[in-house]
Amino acid sequence: MREVTEPLRRLGWTSAGLLTALGPHYLYLRPWVIAMVLGLCAWRLLAERRGWPLPAAWARGVIALAATAGVAASYRSIAGLEAGTALLALMAGLKLLETRGPRDHIVLIFIGWFLCLAAFLYQQSLPMLAWVLPTVWLLAAALLVVARAPASPLPLAPFRSAGAMLAKAAPLALVLFLFFPRIAGQFWGVPAADRAQSGLDEEMSPGDISELTLNDVVAFRVRFDGEPPPPLQRYWRGPVLTEFDGYTWSRPRNQAYFLPPVSWHGAPVDYTITLEPTGLRLLFALDMVQDWPDAVGWQSWDYQLLARAPINTVIQYRARSYPQYAAGPVLSPALRNRHLQLPPGRNPRSIELARRLRAGAASDADFARRVFERFRAEEFYYTLTPPRLDRDSVDDFLFNTRRGFCGHFASAFTMLMRAAGVPARVVAGYQGGDWNQIGGYLIVRQSHAHAWSEAWLPGRGWTRFDPTAAVAPERVERDLQSALPEEAGVPGRLLRQSALLWQAGMLWDNLQARWNELVVKFDQPAQERLLQSLGFDDPDWRDLALLLAAGLLGAVLLLSAWLAWEFRPRRADPVVADYQRFTRRLARRGIDRGPGEAPRDFAQRVGRLRPDLAAISRAITELYLRLRYLPAPAAADRVHLRGLLRRFHP
Amino acid sequence: MRLLTDRPRTWLRRWIRRRQGTDHGPVVLRRGRIYILPTRLGLAFAAMLLGSLNYGNNLGLGLTFLLAALGLVAMQACHRNLESLTVSAAGTEPPFAGNAAGFRLALDNPGAAARHDLEASTTAAAAPPVAVAAGGETIVTLRLPTRRRGWVTLDRIELATRHPFGLFRAWAVLHPELRCLVYPRPAVRAPAPPPAPGSGAGGRTHRGVEDFAGLKDYHPGDPPRHIAWKAHARGGELLVKQFAGTAAAEPVFDLAQAPGADLEQRLAILARWVVDADAAGQVYGLRLPGLELAPQPGPRQRQRCLAALAEFEAPVLRDA
Repeated sequence: MREVTEPLRRLGWTSAGLLTALGPHYLYLRPWVIAMVLGLCAWRLLAERRGWPLPAAWARGVIALAATAGVAASYRSIAGLEAGTALLALMAGLKLLETRGPRDHIVLIFIGWFLCLAAFLYQQSLPMLAWVLPTVWLLAAALLVVARAPASPLPLAPFRSAGAMLAKAAPLALVLFLFFPRIAGQFWGVPAADRAQSGLDEEMSPGDISELTLNDVVAFRVRFDGEPPPPLQRYWRGPVLTEFDGYTWSRPRNQAYFLPPVSWHGAPVDYTITLEPTGLRLLFALDMVQDWPDAVGWQSWDYQLLARAPINTVIQYRARSYPQYAAGPVLSPALRNRHLQLPPGRNPRSIELARRLRAGAASDADFARRVFERFRAEEFYYTLTPPRLDRDSVDDFLFNTRRGFCGHFASAFTMLMRAAGVPARVVAGYQGGDWNQIGGYLIVRQSHAHAWSEAWLPGRGWTRFDPTAAVAPERVERDLQSALPEEAGVPGRLLRQSALLWQAGMLWDNLQARWNELVVKFDQPAQERLLQSLGFDDPDWRDLALLLAAGLLGAVLLLSAWLAWEFRPRRADPVVADYQRFTRRLARRGIDRGPGEAPRDFAQRVGRLRPDLAAISRAITELYLRLRYLPAPAAADRVHLRGLLRRFHP
Repeated sequence: MRLLTDRPRTWLRRWIRRRQGTDHGPVVLRRGRIYILPTRLGLAFAAMLLGSLNYGNNLGLGLTFLLAALGLVAMQACHRNLESLTVSAAGTEPPFAGNAAGFRLALDNPGAAARHDLEASTTAAAAPPVAVAAGGETIVTLRLPTRRRGWVTLDRIELATRHPFGLFRAWAVLHPELRCLVYPRPAVRAPAPPPAPGSGAGGRTHRGVEDFAGLKDYHPGDPPRHIAWKAHARGGELLVKQFAGTAAAEPVFDLAQAPGADLEQRLAILARWVVDADAAGQVYGLRLPGLELAPQPGPRQRQRCLAALAEFEAPVLRDA
């Protein structure tokens, strides 16, 4: 094993910092990018160890061009969060190839910190924080090592020193975080992650939702002001799908309709939703929503809430809904037409079936009831793994496979309604939720994704029909797990079966929810509430500026005091202090120790001037010299010296 | 570009000079005489943080603030790394002209925290970085290149540090008026010195091995058996017994006898004679107009003689 040289040690620190900072990005970066960065790191370290020459400038230029071209080709962009991160990581690897002096190292550490920042753009979760904070520490320690002049004397403990510096920085950072003004109602310029996020989309094909329910990730969390509504009322309205091409349901392009009026009945439900980022403009609310913050979103003519900007960060909004309502008492001819559209020539058998059933029914409502009955009486199966359907998906489902998930039933039901002349549409969203007893809130996960139908009935307006409830009532009344047979691979089944695991999961989720509400979602209203709790009745930006200034001043004073203590004057060596006591007492008797007079010479001179003090002076001097200059002075000498000094009164 | 940075630098130096005046004796680096500015990397760091304020997700913001605060801590630590250090002159190392003159500075750290990466420099020279342990003292030597003999003075010393992160550079300026003598460079080719007056003739004292004549300072080359061990045991200093009859000829080198086209050449030849005689362990003296150094052996004599040669009608040289 050869000795680790100073340049190799520095390279090791920088590479370790960089690769750790890249840690969260390994989840998002293309494998070739990761491989290339690791390769460049390994190359540089090996070159240092084996003494290989570093690649020439032109060679680095070629590699840089190739890397840029690679990013452009595989991400179709060199801007954007993912492509930008990939490019940054590759350039850091390349920079390593030309790294020699402290300056190059320092730049690399900066890149490492920037990568940490970028990681938060993907996720602001607790695990991410748990990764990033130690990384920041490691990078600070690495910076301490690499920023030093080469061949610095006096070693320093990088982790301890960097940790102490971060601890000193923490109060300042906290003051800035709390009082740095946030801007109201603004979604910050958060760059969108360009990967497809799993979640409800603005269109639905057969099989889409069953795929989604395999995902146990949280979609949003809901805190109710009062009692939560019963499970049967927990329909979270998402995208409303009116366009049908025979296979896929989607949102219409044209949104230029008036919002049909709604009348409300019964007691309202007030709640706060904390929505995880989706990259889309979809907002979710309990049916039927009556009030929500204007700054966050608006309601389209099909009662769907839409955000004013794509949701790329956790957002929070309050809303009020009425489970009992009557929506759209009158339907305009244009809207009626829109909700009767069917692709010509598709699903002919279903159309035929619908007309036959409608002919035998007394009313539209009676017809809907008969369709439900049919779903119940005939052999339809509710399953997470339905077979693939052909182009005429509803025909194939109704007369052939008869195995489907909520999307299949909603799609078939809506199509049958339209074929029978009843205006209808598909509503996608979430149904149900897991109640977190510990935190007292509802967790709605992707696995709660659901699709149902809405049909317009004369006198009642838009009415919800959930055909899934006819086939698998347990799905709506309880949850997906109880609606499916034991052997079906449902996500989180293990979690749900073990009370202990379930409890632990809820505890963890509660922590994440609090984290989201307190930190991730710390916005202008939250800042205002903080100021109010600090005693500002009507806080405005001047109060904020005042608090910021005062807080910063306090934190800086704290920092100064801390540093002043660290750099305090050193206490004199107690042995030296003892010797000084000896010389001071002699000085009082007129015997001054000359500048630069060696202790032994001084003792001799004292002996000549005061023969009575000769012996004790010599003894004190010898003890002092031994205590001060022997590598391991004896404790007994110290006691002896003290004793002599007590008796020394010239 | 150079013009842009050089002129303000000159103004800054003049302003500091006027502000602080000349330093006499040890200087304690108090707050008032430590200056601090961000380095180019520090500015780049600040620019990066300002840019990242844009990506205002809360954790990103928090990290940005943490790093900004860390920068501020680094600034304070950088400043503190110099503060309350005591700088004092700790002697010089006179060189021959053409070699570097060594100015020794003692950095004394009275604090309980170690100081790192302290770089002393002047316009013409810079010393490698040093550290001072808590309560410790470190000697740093500035080596100024010289060209001619005479006094070289050092009237501006900068003590700087970029510790801990290289984001800031704190520095202190001292105007100590330190002087160091530069000896004339001994001539490479020199004729043999003229024979000592009266050498070989009678009339001069013969010091023999037999007669003890007294004690003198030890210098390398003295026969070990002449060392006065008893005296050493008493006093510690190494002394040599001198006996009448030990010495050979005792030349006195005279400027008048040194050949050469001009004064500098003749001084160079004298320097050569002094250095050679000293290396040979001889006893010798020096005579310049208005100055006579009696024959003596040893390093002190060498130093006295070379200093006399250096100072003889010498101009004062400044380092910058």
